[in-house]
Amino acid sequence: MTVATNNRVIEFRDALREAMSEEMRNDKRVFLLGEEVAQYNGAYKVSKGMLDEFGPKRVIDTPISESGFSGMAIGAAMRGLRPIVEFMSWSFSLVAADPILNNAAKMLYMSGGQFGCPIVFRGNDGAGGQLASTHSWCVESMYANVPGLKMAIPYDAYDAKGLLKSAIQDDNPVFFLESERLLSTTCHVPEEEYTIPFGKALIRRQGTDCTIIGFGRPLHFCLEAAEELAREGISCEVIDGRTIRPLDIDTMAASVTKTSACVVVDQSWPFASVGSEIASQLHAICFEALDNHVHRVHSDDVPTPYAYNLEQAYLPNKRKICEAVRSATYNA
Amino acid sequence: MPKLSDTMESGTILHWHVDVGDDVSAGDVLADIETDKATMELQSFDDGTVDQIIVGVGDQVRVGTTIALLVDEDEVDEQEVQVIDAPPNVEEAEVETADEPPVASPPPPVSEESSSRGLRVSPVARRLAEEHGVDLQTIQGSGPSGRIIKRDILQLVGATVETTAAAHTTVHGSETKVVAQTTSQPSIQPLAPVSPWQENRTEPLSNMRQIIAQRLVESKQTIPHYQVTMSFDLDPLLEMRTTLNEQLATTGVKLSVNDFLVRCCALAMARHPEFNASFGGDCILYHGPVNIGIAIALPAERGGGLVVGSIRNADQKSLRTISQESAYLSTKARESGLSVDEMADTTFTISNLGMFGVEHFTAIINPPNSAILAVGAAVEKPVVRQGELAVGHEMSATLSLDHRVIDGAMAALYLKALKELIENPASLLV
Repeated sequence: MTVATNNRVIEFRDALREAMSEEMRNDKRVFLLGEEVAQYNGAYKVSKGMLDEFGPKRVIDTPISESGFSGMAIGAAMRGLRPIVEFMSWSFSLVAADPILNNAAKMLYMSGGQFGCPIVFRGNDGAGGQLASTHSWCVESMYANVPGLKMAIPYDAYDAKGLLKSAIQDDNPVFFLESERLLSTTCHVPEEEYTIPFGKALIRRQGTDCTIIGFGRPLHFCLEAAEELAREGISCEVIDGRTIRPLDIDTMAASVTKTSACVVVDQSWPFASVGSEIASQLHAICFEALDNHVHRVHSDDVPTPYAYNLEQAYLPNKRKICEAVRSATYNA
Repeated sequence: MPKLSDTMESGTILHWHVDVGDDVSAGDVLADIETDKATMELQSFDDGTVDQIIVGVGDQVRVGTTIALLVDEDEVDEQEVQVIDAPPNVEEAEVETADEPPVASPPPPVSEESSSRGLRVSPVARRLAEEHGVDLQTIQGSGPSGRIIKRDILQLVGATVETTAAAHTTVHGSETKVVAQTTSQPSIQPLAPVSPWQENRTEPLSNMRQIIAQRLVESKQTIPHYQVTMSFDLDPLLEMRTTLNEQLATTGVKLSVNDFLVRCCALAMARHPEFNASFGGDCILYHGPVNIGIAIALPAERGGGLVVGSIRNADQKSLRTISQESAYLSTKARESGLSVDEMADTTFTISNLGMFGVEHFTAIINPPNSAILAVGAAVEKPVVRQGELAVGHEMSATLSLDHRVIDGAMAALYLKALKELIENPASLLV
């Protein structure tokens, strides 16, 4: 599958596997565990072939018991290993809230620096498509509220590899939020090893009239919206935040200072969210530069609907983003 | 606010002729409105009762703004009432802080607080306005609820010269500081000022001041002006004026020197029709009627400024008619303002500062005229008459001319004709 050229294009899931495999080859402390990651090659084929390469001691199938295997992995991390925990969906992490939030995120603090927790929790976040209310969680706003953890949301395969390698190498617990809807997307990913540092946002499109800030899958709609708005004469700068903790507010603020208008797109619910946090920080930092309050686009403030049309209307989409930008720039 | 002339964009209410509760019929005069050109009467379009007067005297509003509400007599229904926002009153906001005595600690910048009170302004628009010295009170915001947004400031700054206003803000700021310093040391008793302390202040341009600024800059910048001056022996004219005024005293006629000059200029124009002309770009327009404009200064309480009243067909009119029309125009201009018609179609203008003792000055041509006569005072001085030194009255007058229409020799010939008429005034009577 992989071809040794400079222009190699691979899928997002391949990039994730490549990051994990490279790190496991480089560091014997790194191992992967989760439901169906080994013999079934991963529920979404992210870990395809890894059992064959690394064997059952480092690619471990677990029972359906997130609380149990998360807690076990945290213990391993405290004792010096560097586990990667795959949640089939971040929706299932809720049953492991106590170990991942109360233990992993707080361990370094509570142990007075004796125990760190170098662990990566990764899996699908957000609406996968008609998975209904309980299996469509966007956990970023809820979990980002907790101090002591890091959080990354890659948008494309290139970032998936670079950010996941940084996550595995990090000495802190990292919540790594992927999207089922992005796993098959492709882009150029170098064969050689590289990392992308946390806290460095990426300007995915340059513009002058309005800054659009997003993470992960909604960035696709942000870029679509920017394209449509450009035809209306509204020039949008699209910023991929890449990591929520740490948050590259400096890049965002610099852009907003230039454009005077901002729309934050966050697929989690609006109340006490990543979007409201960014808006609040921008209001504080760029107040003098703003021509309007920072606008926000979220999933609607209801449980995720099952019906296809309702789910589409509920999620952040091109229409909502366009409307928000027009409003923020007084072009409504 | 109805559009009372083609170029009218806003109007100022000078006087309301009606009060709330008054019944009015179509055609009744509701108010006097100052437009960019003149003061006009606003007549009621309908019968009804005045329910509300929304725009007060002295307030300038854009065309289309609701200035008052008229209701049918049978529908004294409150629900019919539609309140429409009038622009914020600039003067009120400024007066409030202008009179405050300086205090010992440095006062907050006066202009900022008073100018932005009650306004909706986006933060970046406020910052840009400050940077460019834009007075937020003068802007109609285009954002929701009239919020002033970035675009409004940028459009304004792009369209106007920004340096003047910015310079003013700086001056104002330093002024505030100085006041605070002198008063913060009570031990030093400063000498009483010779004249009352005058605060720096800014007044928005009246419609008239705007028009004067625009038209005279245009005139001075586009018309190649030059001046020709001549002195006139005014004794014969003054003597005849005295005689006529004495003999006509019972009829109420009182001829002014200016009335004679209007007739002189008009007759000289009739002799030199090339003066009765305008530059037309690729042609010269020769006018039939000789309409002499007289510059009329307006009293300060009416906002000052000046207008030019039009005495039509002045070459066809007797001194007495000219005098009556001139007096009528001056009085009306000062008291209630001239109509557009009373100012239109002049072909030559006379500006006379003689009554103030000015001996000589030059005037700026009043477009589309090609000439204006600046008239000085008749001064008693030693003169030479028939080789003898004598005491006589001499008057100096200076023509400003549009060289595109009138050359120097033509101007000289015109002044020669004018001199013949002024110095031989009997011809003015017949």
